[in-house]
Amino acid sequence: MAGKNSEQFVIVGANYKTHIPEAKKPSIMYRLKGKPIISIVILGIIVLGCVFAEQVYNHDPTGFYLQNLSEAPNSEFYFGTDSLGRDIFSMIWYGGRASIMIGLLSMTIITVIGVVYGCISGTANSRIDAIMMRVPEIINSIPILLLVLLLTSVMGTQNIMKISFVIGVTGWCALARIVRSEVRQIRSSEYVLAARCMGGGFLHTMLRHLIPNLVSTIMFVVVSSISSSMSMESTLSFLGLGLPVDVISWGSMLSLANKALLLNTWWVIIIPGVFLIITLVCITNIAYFFRRETNKQESIL
Amino acid sequence: MNPKAMIIKKITKRTLGLILTMFILSVGVFYLARLAPGDPLQSFYGDAVESMTTQELDAARIRLGLDGPIYAQYTKWIGNASQGDFGLSLKYKTPTLDVVSPLIGNTLILGGTAYILVFVLATLLALFCAMNEDSLFDRIICKVGTAAYYIPPFWLGVVLVLIFSINLHWLPSSGAYDIGKSGDILNRIRHMILPLIVMILSHLWYYAYMIRNKLLDEVRKDYVLLAKSKGCTKTEIVFKHCFRNVAPTIVSIMAISIPHVLSGTYIAESVFNYPGIGALSVQSAKYHDYNLLMLVVLITGLLVISSSIIAQSINEVIDPRMKLTEVSAWREKTASSSS
Repeated sequence: MAGKNSEQFVIVGANYKTHIPEAKKPSIMYRLKGKPIISIVILGIIVLGCVFAEQVYNHDPTGFYLQNLSEAPNSEFYFGTDSLGRDIFSMIWYGGRASIMIGLLSMTIITVIGVVYGCISGTANSRIDAIMMRVPEIINSIPILLLVLLLTSVMGTQNIMKISFVIGVTGWCALARIVRSEVRQIRSSEYVLAARCMGGGFLHTMLRHLIPNLVSTIMFVVVSSISSSMSMESTLSFLGLGLPVDVISWGSMLSLANKALLLNTWWVIIIPGVFLIITLVCITNIAYFFRRETNKQESIL
Repeated sequence: MNPKAMIIKKITKRTLGLILTMFILSVGVFYLARLAPGDPLQSFYGDAVESMTTQELDAARIRLGLDGPIYAQYTKWIGNASQGDFGLSLKYKTPTLDVVSPLIGNTLILGGTAYILVFVLATLLALFCAMNEDSLFDRIICKVGTAAYYIPPFWLGVVLVLIFSINLHWLPSSGAYDIGKSGDILNRIRHMILPLIVMILSHLWYYAYMIRNKLLDEVRKDYVLLAKSKGCTKTEIVFKHCFRNVAPTIVSIMAISIPHVLSGTYIAESVFNYPGIGALSVQSAKYHDYNLLMLVVLITGLLVISSSIIAQSINEVIDPRMKLTEVSAWREKTASSSS
């Protein structure tokens, strides 16, 4: 049986080579199924509008139109003007930049602190771990709002960087806790052990082995931290402790809400709020997509 | 070990934990407040600082406890604090405790009522949803709930004021009572309606959704099948078996939610100018009144930690399966799945 080659075999079936089963491309509809398309589209429109704000707005967002104070929505000022005479339509697009920027910056800070802290705490021995996990517990023992109030008050006049820093520094506890419990589960698995035996340092293990395994778990928290940061920014600005009125963001636009209440001008309150909420809900919807599906079992009841 | 000694040991352990946490919290807050830019003397005396002599300034510093290095200031502060003297409020120029103490009651009434209402309603809603899983009502609740969680409470408050007090003139927009009617309970209730609605609307869905999910996990257990084959009705199974098993979880969720509900109270107070420590904390943060802010932070911390200890104890009483270690491991689980 030494000289066996393909010529000794008879090939049955004509055109066997030409018959290649057609690789069926999954249709676009099938691929998009179950994905938060509506949220992505709406969020895309809002984000693009903010990025290309110069092209979208029809008035100067920083200009004061003193002849048109508190004017209701009309054909010239699509969303009306506020009590300082600024055009709300232009401010929405221009101010969205600051709001989204704050969301993204805070998310970055939260993710970096949360993941690094969680990884250290998860890989450390149990005594250090116990001490390290006390810190988020103490931070969580007072409402985050109060802590943020304290920090903003300490830091003086706010700008975008400062406010993102404050929100980021106070918001990482939940993430750190999740990362830690996840790391505790995978830290004794073979590949982490192997990496350590081969002399891999903490940074190497974290970047190469721990974080890739964490991504799917923490994605939900990371993405939804954008929306909670934006919400926190608007709350702070409304309370008069966030961005000052001349730095335009959706939050600082809402800080005029109390004045608008006295003047009974609904558009100053409703329009920035609706934009803010639509953005938050879209981001959250996308975040939910990342959350692992659970609870699939049939109910017995 | 006999059970009595165990209980005493547990209580001492928790009290020690409480004291330690409060100590760390106070050190952190104290250092933060002292590191803040801006001269406390400036905010206390205003522009009069510039015309004061060096001796007067030193005397003022000693009077306000601002002399010496920070750790010495802290030891002095904590010595005074243990006697109930938390320093002078820089804005009101009176002892901070006098400023805060009349307001704590208001906050507790508002926060407590909202807290109870939120959880009673959330549990009822969750039970209803779990019994009619995947019905239209259930799906609507879930969708609305996830969306409503992200409506900023302050905005909701402002919109409600716009609708109900400014345009419809049904309800007052601010304060705890009209002038001269502090004893009138009906008047107080009327002032509480809007803040309560804001707090319920911004918290209810989220907790209802959480309890619903826990109930649905429970409904999939094997004993439900057994109960069903015994001939129990759906209502009986849910109320007698599932709900009882979920009850400790609900208490746990309630304990975790205290800071969340409290910050909701603080926001509602500042929107509606309700005289409570929440509105006060925002005011003191604005005016850099650190002594006052510190006391508010400490009181809040004490409130939250002691109530979480109470919740933990209640949990052990109503659910003997729970041991201390299990409770903490499991609280962690619920905390991570909830956030």
